[in-house]
Amino acid sequence: MRLTYPDSIRIIRLPCTGKIDVIHMMEAFRKGADGVYVAGCLEGECHYLAGNLRAKKRVEYTRKLLDEIGIGGGRLEMYGIAASDGPRFAEVAEEMHEKIKALGPSPIKGAIQKGVLL
Amino acid sequence: MIVAERKPIDEIIGFVQDCKKILLVGCNECVTVCYAGGKKEVGILSSALKMAFSKEGKNLDVKEATLERQCDPEYVQQLSEYYDQYDAIVSMACGVGVQELAMRYLNKQVFPALNTNFMGASQGQGIWEERCQGCGECVLGRTGGICPIARCAKSLLNGPCGGSMNGKCEISKEVDCAWQLIIDRLTGLKQMHMLEEIFPVKDWSPAGHGGPRRMVREDLKS
Amino acid sequence: MVKDKTGAIMVVGGGIGGIQAALDLADSGFYVYLVEKSSSIGGKMSQLDKTFPTNDCSMCIMSPKLVECGKHLNIEILTLSEIESVTGEEGNFHVRLIQHPRYIDIDKCIACGTCAEKCPKKVADEYNTKLIKRKAAYIRYPQAVPLKYLIDKKNCIYFRKDKKCRACEKFCPAEAVDFDQKEREITIDVGAIILASGFQPYNPAISDSYQYGRSPNVVTSLEFERILSASGPYQGHLVRPSDEREPKKIAWLQCVGSRNTRIGDKGYCSAVCCTYAIKQAIVAKEHSAIPLDTAIFYIDIRTHGKDFEKFFNRAREEIGVRFEKSRINSILPAHDEENLEITYLNGEGKVVREEFDMVVLSVGIDIPKESIDLAQKMGVELNHYNFVSTGYFDPLRTTRPGIFVCGAFQGPRDIPETVTQASGSAAAASSLLSEQRHTLTKEKEYPEEMDITGKAPRIGIFVCHCGTNIGGVVDVPKVTEYASKLPNVVVAEENLFTCSQDTQVKIKESIHERQLNRVVVASCSVRTHEPLFQDTIREAGLNPYLLSMANIRDQDSWVHRSNKDSATEKAKDLVRMAVAGASKLSPLYRTKLPVTKRGLIVGGGIAGMTAALNIAGQGFEVILVEIEKELGGFAGNIRTTLQGDNVRQYLAGLIEVVKHNEKIEVLTETSVAGFSGTKGNFKTVLGVGASMHHREVTHGALIIATGATEYRPKEYLYGEHESVRTQVELEGMLLTEGEKIKGWKDVVMIQCVGSRNNSNPNCSRICCQQAVKNAIAVKEINPDVNVFILHRDIRTYGFAEDFYRQARQMGIHFLRYKEHEDPIVEKAEGKIHVTFKDLTLGREITIESDQVVLGTGVVAGDTEDLANVLKVPLTSERFFLEAHVKLRPVDTQSDGIFVCGMAHGPKTIDESISQALAASARACRLLSQDYIEVGGIVARVDPELCASCLICVRACPYEVPFINNDGVSEIDISKCQGCGICASECPAKAIDLSHFEDMQILTQIDALLEAS
Repeated sequence: MRLTYPDSIRIIRLPCTGKIDVIHMMEAFRKGADGVYVAGCLEGECHYLAGNLRAKKRVEYTRKLLDEIGIGGGRLEMYGIAASDGPRFAEVAEEMHEKIKALGPSPIKGAIQKGVLL
Repeated sequence: MIVAERKPIDEIIGFVQDCKKILLVGCNECVTVCYAGGKKEVGILSSALKMAFSKEGKNLDVKEATLERQCDPEYVQQLSEYYDQYDAIVSMACGVGVQELAMRYLNKQVFPALNTNFMGASQGQGIWEERCQGCGECVLGRTGGICPIARCAKSLLNGPCGGSMNGKCEISKEVDCAWQLIIDRLTGLKQMHMLEEIFPVKDWSPAGHGGPRRMVREDLKS
Repeated sequence: MVKDKTGAIMVVGGGIGGIQAALDLADSGFYVYLVEKSSSIGGKMSQLDKTFPTNDCSMCIMSPKLVECGKHLNIEILTLSEIESVTGEEGNFHVRLIQHPRYIDIDKCIACGTCAEKCPKKVADEYNTKLIKRKAAYIRYPQAVPLKYLIDKKNCIYFRKDKKCRACEKFCPAEAVDFDQKEREITIDVGAIILASGFQPYNPAISDSYQYGRSPNVVTSLEFERILSASGPYQGHLVRPSDEREPKKIAWLQCVGSRNTRIGDKGYCSAVCCTYAIKQAIVAKEHSAIPLDTAIFYIDIRTHGKDFEKFFNRAREEIGVRFEKSRINSILPAHDEENLEITYLNGEGKVVREEFDMVVLSVGIDIPKESIDLAQKMGVELNHYNFVSTGYFDPLRTTRPGIFVCGAFQGPRDIPETVTQASGSAAAASSLLSEQRHTLTKEKEYPEEMDITGKAPRIGIFVCHCGTNIGGVVDVPKVTEYASKLPNVVVAEENLFTCSQDTQVKIKESIHERQLNRVVVASCSVRTHEPLFQDTIREAGLNPYLLSMANIRDQDSWVHRSNKDSATEKAKDLVRMAVAGASKLSPLYRTKLPVTKRGLIVGGGIAGMTAALNIAGQGFEVILVEIEKELGGFAGNIRTTLQGDNVRQYLAGLIEVVKHNEKIEVLTETSVAGFSGTKGNFKTVLGVGASMHHREVTHGALIIATGATEYRPKEYLYGEHESVRTQVELEGMLLTEGEKIKGWKDVVMIQCVGSRNNSNPNCSRICCQQAVKNAIAVKEINPDVNVFILHRDIRTYGFAEDFYRQARQMGIHFLRYKEHEDPIVEKAEGKIHVTFKDLTLGREITIESDQVVLGTGVVAGDTEDLANVLKVPLTSERFFLEAHVKLRPVDTQSDGIFVCGMAHGPKTIDESISQALAASARACRLLSQDYIEVGGIVARVDPELCASCLICVRACPYEVPFINNDGVSEIDISKCQGCGICASECPAKAIDLSHFEDMQILTQIDALLEAS
């Protein structure tokens, strides 16, 4: 299924979204990402039982932090996508791309325009 | 343990807005355990501050250091070699730690990054509750091991007030009535007679009402 | 001299059953030939959208097994292959196979899909139940294993029209198309064979009453799975075939091709359709943008599996799926010719006509003609329904010694039961060939690893064109040129196919000549290709963890085809990130721990004894622990099975064999007092004998087989009136008190006592069969007696349906009472009055009965203490919880601990035996290893930084970290699953997950976002 999605997206691989840390998301923004999203398994389907639920909470926390410093928590999202659901993956990529496009470039000065998917 | 939480970022930025280089110091004791000022939080705050500065087109250099304990001079001393290169020190310890840094490094401004809340216990991941107010004269031996000073909103010593309803305190349905807990526990232990003796008026001088407290152990002093 | 047996086993059928059997066998020291008729393994499960009762995505849970099977050194997959004959005998079979040509060279095909793209011929796609078209050059599905295309000769233009066309051949970048391939005959010697050829969905076109084939909006349940599937014909949008519009009302018709002796002689219950219909209705409602009305028309709802009843309750109470108890009268096209009108008798006995937009036929499990022929070729007998005939107490052994069976070819069953039987059949076959273990398996030898400590990174990068897959979009030379200038890069090369054999040689040469100590491959997905490249660098003496991959195909050229410049820029970014990441990689080592080759089984009932015998048969010592004075367990209370087999005789024989087996040590009056260690090396403290003296035993695996008990009723005058008994008590009477039974005039049996209610929401699975069995027995002793069975649904699933039919023919009365309106049992002079509201007549009936028999449910035994000691979770009904309800049905979440029999949930004796064998297979898979390797990608604690805060202890989903004697957190690498949750929660940053260390991730983020 070779669907297309926006070329603004770069993927960083983790063993489980449970490995995602606040500092990873923060540093991605600090280094100039315009948006970051975490793509994990559907809730209740984590291969490691609870990784995606922990990740969701950390994403929530980081969103608040980003709001506090004026970057905007809306630039960070978490999605649950089934591994077999290619169309949903492409749809999410499109959704995130449009969302970030609407928000405009990151307020970090000199930032390069890119989205990062963790 | 001492339970604390991070101040709003804006307030911390306010402290350091004119700095170019800061020393951000965490503590590997209580505030690590309560997720407020350990090495992880130091990293996150550092990143947040740098990002907030760069948003304004400014640069902030942050040196991260996490001491084993900020309330002991030997550990605090570890910063002496390089603290002077920074415009200010921001402490992520409890109020004790902040003061230890301030007293040791007299020529540097030291700012707190945390609000120190209370002495409490962990009630599971992410939940802490106050358990002790350090009154200097422990009453737990007579109240079934449950402290009416820290856990009763009015710090009553001789039974509950009229606001205890269904085991909950009148200030909030979320808060247990400490006296309900005491009575339930003593009933279970068949020790209710202990409450028959009236507590005299409490002497609050050991609780800090007689000025800052100090403790000296002659046997340990060098 | 007796010829040595052959240490290889053939598994026939590459569905989930065959895959599981092959993996268990290959992991236990046997060489496996996995024979599959179609072009790829995966079977029916690969076509399902979701699986009940958890609604997990079917492909998500299955594909790791497909991949594992595909890359296993000791599994040889023979696709497009069919068995011609089997000669020889148990231990030494000679199997003759025919392998049909694929017309694509499997060694050359790179699965780029160009052949399918260029093929001009469109044909109906069987994988998508012919709802859409595929090409004549195709793969069955994107995750297929082996991932190799094939040409469908029947439809290929080249074969049909005088060798014209050849488009695929012309465009194939790998020169893999080979029209000259011929049918091949292969002869293979094996010691045993496992039949796992599965089923086909019943074809409803046989009957003209369902409008199937006439209305496009009448679909089978398998067709509906494809409609729901994201990879299906409508990309997961719920639309009906006629106009591709969203349906507002869907009906499911149950028992299509099942429980009916008229149509095609399928009198059995297919056992899975009720639960899958519920699943489909729930999923359909979730998919639907508009409120969807779903109605399931049924005879009895048979949700007898573990936790299935809760699933049913959720569907009707929370989700609003409609259940209509009615075998419909007719289904006809409605006026608009697209909708369908169903006529049925509703609960009040009124005729209702209702229109639906779509109708799903819940088709049953059927045995295809090919399987019948296969059985004949193999000399295996079939039963009256053409399923493989097996003995009740030996459910996985066919009539031909050395040939075993598992899955739906043995009887209608669901995925976990199939997986259970698959492991069980592997155990049975292993026991036959245990002396030949490791005689034919291959093991790979690697050179000694180079020490790279203290050496600066020297990175080699290999950029792949993947034919035109990458090269057609991304400017590969430009990317390679860019890569060569990145820090630490000493070699940058481009290859047409980096995965080809000659490139592997080139990579190894580069490692040697340029002293590379890190390798980056910029090509495709780690999911499919990391093992290959890891293996290559290992062959050159590099630690396999010193490889990094950049996916410039799946994540770049395939998805950004329209903008070549931007795709090339992205490829540079991905390569830069991979190179930066590689420079921070460090070697990881796995530690070898020897395995204690002994099993411990807790529970000496049929399940425990069966497992013990199989483990002993596989050549390992076993300690069998029983808390009671005697072996035997609950089966001691059972006289015969529904099928008439003598349980007492079987049990007595089994106990004798177990007691006299020299590899089995039986410890009665013994319980588990303490437990420690990890898989392969456990230490258990037992309290032995009446004195409970402590004895410590070491073992490599543990099986829980503690059984369950009967619910003791508090209702229906039980214990107050002598004529109120349980079914088990009645069974005891059948043997000794025949005279008394001859005096009975009316007997009332009440079902679901202590099951399917608020305190025990689950179905106890066995009580309906027990009632039918005892009702028939009572009727045989006293033909004049009236037997009334008061029930909510009769759940005689599978072949037990035959006995339900027999009971009805014998005049046993089956009467339905309503949920929440339990019958009332009252004392009356000399009799007992049973009053209930009959649902068919719609009025209250009182039966004056001589005897009331309660169909009491199964409840868990005292499982909590054992669960606590072993740290194994329980379900809310206190049965032991399996690691995964579908694909790991006998594993627990603790590696090395397995569960079988009623400790896992209610089940019949033959099911317990299958499960016991499965648990044994899983245990022996471990015991047959000389050592286990632990480590690799695991979490590690820096004790210097640890604040002993307990956060990791609380956060780990597997309860691995603990605070050790030094007061710091410790993670046992043999238990760590490598998820990294602890590392990202640790507030002192004392924990890091190797290979995904913070520093490594941050380096990648830095490199990625560095302005190029």
